[in-house]
Amino acid sequence: MPTRKLIVEYADDLVLFPDRWHKIGLVIWVSTMLAFPFVANHHWLTTGNLAMITIVGATSLMILTGFTGQISLGHAAFLAIGAYTAAVFGNRFGLPFWLILPLAGLLAALVGLCIGPFALRLEGLYLAIVTIGLLFLVNHVLLSFPQYTNGVVGIGVPVHSWFAGSDSGSMLSGFNNTSHVLGLELTFERKLYFLFLVLTLVTVAVATNIKRSASGRAMAAVRDHDVAAAVMGIDHARAKVTAFGVSSFFAGVAGAMFAFQQQYITVEPPFNMMMSIQYISIIVLGGMGTVFGAVAGAMVYTFLSPLLELIGRQLPFLSNLSSGQQSTMLFAIVVCGFLIFEPLGLFGIWLRIKRYFAGWPFRY
Amino acid sequence: METFLQLLGSGLALGAMYALIALGFVVIYRASQVFNFAQGDLLGLGAFLMVALNSAGLPWGLSLLVAMLLTGLVAAGIERAFLRPLIGRPVFVTIIITIFVGFLLRTFLVLVWGPQPYGMATPWDTSGSIDILGATVLLNAVAATVAGAIALTLFFLLIKYSRFGVAMRATASDQEAALALGIPVGRIFGATWFIAGAYAALAGIFLGMFPRSVDVNLGYIALRAFPAAVIGGLDSAAGAVIAGLALGVLEVMTQGYINPNLGHFGQNFHAVFPYVAMILFLIIRPYGLFGREEVKRV
Repeated sequence: MPTRKLIVEYADDLVLFPDRWHKIGLVIWVSTMLAFPFVANHHWLTTGNLAMITIVGATSLMILTGFTGQISLGHAAFLAIGAYTAAVFGNRFGLPFWLILPLAGLLAALVGLCIGPFALRLEGLYLAIVTIGLLFLVNHVLLSFPQYTNGVVGIGVPVHSWFAGSDSGSMLSGFNNTSHVLGLELTFERKLYFLFLVLTLVTVAVATNIKRSASGRAMAAVRDHDVAAAVMGIDHARAKVTAFGVSSFFAGVAGAMFAFQQQYITVEPPFNMMMSIQYISIIVLGGMGTVFGAVAGAMVYTFLSPLLELIGRQLPFLSNLSSGQQSTMLFAIVVCGFLIFEPLGLFGIWLRIKRYFAGWPFRY
Repeated sequence: METFLQLLGSGLALGAMYALIALGFVVIYRASQVFNFAQGDLLGLGAFLMVALNSAGLPWGLSLLVAMLLTGLVAAGIERAFLRPLIGRPVFVTIIITIFVGFLLRTFLVLVWGPQPYGMATPWDTSGSIDILGATVLLNAVAATVAGAIALTLFFLLIKYSRFGVAMRATASDQEAALALGIPVGRIFGATWFIAGAYAALAGIFLGMFPRSVDVNLGYIALRAFPAAVIGGLDSAAGAVIAGLALGVLEVMTQGYINPNLGHFGQNFHAVFPYVAMILFLIIRPYGLFGREEVKRV
């Protein structure tokens, strides 16, 4: 098996693909993702879509919490803003999805940038609780303008592929209709899948590049010790606010994706504290501070939930609970176990596997 | 004026409960720098135990004490099983683990008692009320305020004068130095969790009384007590009590005077009001009213 290339200079540490295996891995991953919608049935295709939404959401939280160390329990607020942007702008102005996605991100980023300055003065727990407050506040605002958001009833989310009204006359067919490209049948779900795949790849690429760039190193320094970072000449205010902006942008995009996927959204559930907690535990499960962790955690979480529901149904003493509660409970146990016994998460397990094979047949 | 007094009365009763819950947060935070998100579910557990013990035939006062004791023991057990192995790990780890432990606890409550609400028995007339200065105040509210005051006084006496209280304060100010002086820091952690659990049970029992009832969602009220702990300063017990009382009164006043004037936006505005107050307050004082400003060394 291949061992790591010798690191001789700093640039070696920054290369995207340290060796051939990383490239091969990426090719395998992308081609699996491309083939998936034509293999999977409807149920698993939906799960795949949800997985990609979760990857984008988790990666955005990873930038904030994993890279910069700012704990946010209000991540669901940014997703809610994104989702409602998609719903309101789609319904009232009939904007197409490719305009709504960046718009959702920008609106969420705006709110994130407003919260950023708080992070300059607050730390750790104080920040975590302020972000819970943000979540409550955002949900309250969303519920108190029922003329736009329909309040507690919820709102349908249309997906236009062109400005509404001219939809029928345009060259593009409606997004919801099944179309055929190169002999492949593209249903609504499959179209969403490919749209999400592009968004996911972009998010992951951006996060990876942030991590290996100067701003990412500044974030890591702020996470490890902000005073020390400031002494070294790092503008810690800028690092924190940037992290908040970028993170909430992608969270908003994830929210819009979620709205497109669900097609009908309400404020809470799903955008409650449980969602924030799920995202935090996903990145803990995956491994803090790594993009790999966000992606792996999100995929394991999404594909594990149906499995956990299945297990939950088999356990007789849990029959009092709803299936959602059962799977959340089992998930809670899994996460607690990881926190206590495997602090590095899936990333730690992956490292151990890699080391084992790198040193094979020797034990070290 | 009458409305004002009435609101003040129920505000103080709510505030006393907030103060008790916030004190639970602060006690644990001071000793071990852990913010216990499971506090709300301990509160629910206490209330359910009280209902169960009371219906099993125990006299009211005794079942109150036993419920507090049992909840305290559960809290100490949680500390031993889940949080002791995590000492020295980053903040978010303890946040997540307490949230999930709270979730497991709530699941346990659903499994044992089911989702339906229970009424909380009281030795006095449950829906009775008395007139104070022309305002009608529920007996339950009076009892809650009195019980809160007694519990808080006891806590401050314990902290100030007992040997154990000194040990607790020593642990709070420097764990390693306390350990070097022979203070059993691990046992202090257990004891602080015990106190926090017992106080959570007390708060839960009084919160479960008329006009509310005991159900699995009782614990969500702890979410509303976060701001009290934060505004008071996470490591100041006195701050938690003052901020808890103030927020309780302000919340009820908001509900009475501000909500009706905000139109649609005012609906349930009092529920988010503590958070709005907290965010505004933290702009001015990032460490709360009496919180110690952390001095960082590089």
